[in-house]
Amino acid sequence: MGLVDIAAAKTLASSAVFIFITLLLLASAKRTRTCIVLFSMQGAVVTAQILATAYVHRSAEAYAIAFLVLVIKVLAIPYLLLRIVDRLNMPREVKASTTSAQSVFITAALILLSFLVVQPYVRAFNIDEDMLAAAIALVLTGCFLMVSRKKALMQVIGLLVLENGVFLAALTSTFGMPLVIEIGIFFDLLMGVFLMGLFVFRIRDTFDHLDVSKLRRLRG
Amino acid sequence: MKLLLDIVQAVLLVALAPLVRGIVSRIKARIQNRQGASVWRPYSELRKLFAKEDLVPPTASFVFRLSPVLLFAVTVAAAAFIPVLHASALLGTMGDFILLAYLLAFGRFFLMLGAMDGGGAFGGMGASREALVSTLAEAPLLLALTAVAVVARIATLAGIVQWTLQQDFFRLSAVHALAVAALALVAIAETGRIPVDNPTTHLELTMIHESMVLEHSGPSLALIEWASAIKLNVMIALLIALFAPWGMATAFTAAGLAIAIAVYALKVAALAVVLAVVESSVAKLRMYMVPDFLGVACALSILAVVFTAVMR
Repeated sequence: MGLVDIAAAKTLASSAVFIFITLLLLASAKRTRTCIVLFSMQGAVVTAQILATAYVHRSAEAYAIAFLVLVIKVLAIPYLLLRIVDRLNMPREVKASTTSAQSVFITAALILLSFLVVQPYVRAFNIDEDMLAAAIALVLTGCFLMVSRKKALMQVIGLLVLENGVFLAALTSTFGMPLVIEIGIFFDLLMGVFLMGLFVFRIRDTFDHLDVSKLRRLRG
Repeated sequence: MKLLLDIVQAVLLVALAPLVRGIVSRIKARIQNRQGASVWRPYSELRKLFAKEDLVPPTASFVFRLSPVLLFAVTVAAAAFIPVLHASALLGTMGDFILLAYLLAFGRFFLMLGAMDGGGAFGGMGASREALVSTLAEAPLLLALTAVAVVARIATLAGIVQWTLQQDFFRLSAVHALAVAALALVAIAETGRIPVDNPTTHLELTMIHESMVLEHSGPSLALIEWASAIKLNVMIALLIALFAPWGMATAFTAAGLAIAIAVYALKVAALAVVLAVVESSVAKLRMYMVPDFLGVACALSILAVVFTAVMR
């Protein structure tokens, strides 16, 4: 058994733990910048997971997807978001409506919930329990971040975390979607971040703040 | 031979505690671009204090005199519970991790009594803050230790260390990851470091530990300072023993012991650097934010305990 085999096996065995750690850190983080860096680290964990899967299943396509994830989720999107934060020149806090202790409690509960809901699928289809639970936890925590943080940028980060979860669920249950579809999804994601960046700038210019809880009136 | 090593490691924990404190403050000074005092300075301070007269306020009762001695005694007893160089400790067979946690709490209780007995205004204020912090830190400390003990299926620290030593170094368990995060936060609160308390401050609005010891002087103060240095050392040793004990001596050979000592020194140095970096880069929390800080630790430790049932 070579060194690469061991590394791949260890990555597959422990990346769920790392994803839980990034989720709990995301819940407790108080600054937008920290959240972006954590999202980038989460992308790195997902990349390692794809690489390990690619190695174990000898799939060339998966290597290409890993490369795409590395470029887009670990480097490009965090870089774009950090630049947006720089240019926005607004207060640094995420303005959570829960304290960080409550957020960590809720995230912990969501992680447990995801372990509960995956049980039937794990038994029926013989899938890795930890990874599927991590994927569901990513989706749930992404939603939680979107509803509990008032700063407009955190909605973007929540959505990206959610997308990580969908991606990971596809990877663990079906070894990923075809390469063409993945490329399409990544392109959409990048465009989405561009658009939401523009949108955030518009919110700031119109209202002088980024607090989405104050955006209540519709104009027809 | 085993007994000798047990005694040696307990004595090392007690005797080298001021040195660890000195090293941390030296690294901190270097990070902040200062020259910094010698790493041996805590020893000369202790010598100075022991040579001085012990001034007792006229209103104080015997508790004031008794509390530093008791604090020192139970902290030394707690130090004798921690395996350092091999997977066994002097009092390892006498009690489990619950006894360790409450020995530390017992010492803190008497420190608070002494602070209130001194009659100064700051003593009572510091004692009330310390009571708040220690009440909130107790649950995550016990829960995190419980989680680790449940995974190892044994309640004594030496047993947990023995179990961990047989585990695969690379096999990361979620329980341990969560428990080490919770215990690290608790250790910061328990030993009164930034961001919960500032060990160097004398600003009345922020100090916790320092305001409790204001009325103490001479040998009493020396005992309290030494005890708090030992407590920091005990917490560092506890983190190392529970989560990264690899390198401890398994057989009583000269080479094994030398490796154990060298590896342990390296780990302590690494933790000292981490502590200094955190203390230099993080701002002290407002007192009202401390419950939130420890709430995070509490959530992590509860998750750790639940994960012992969920994962494997």
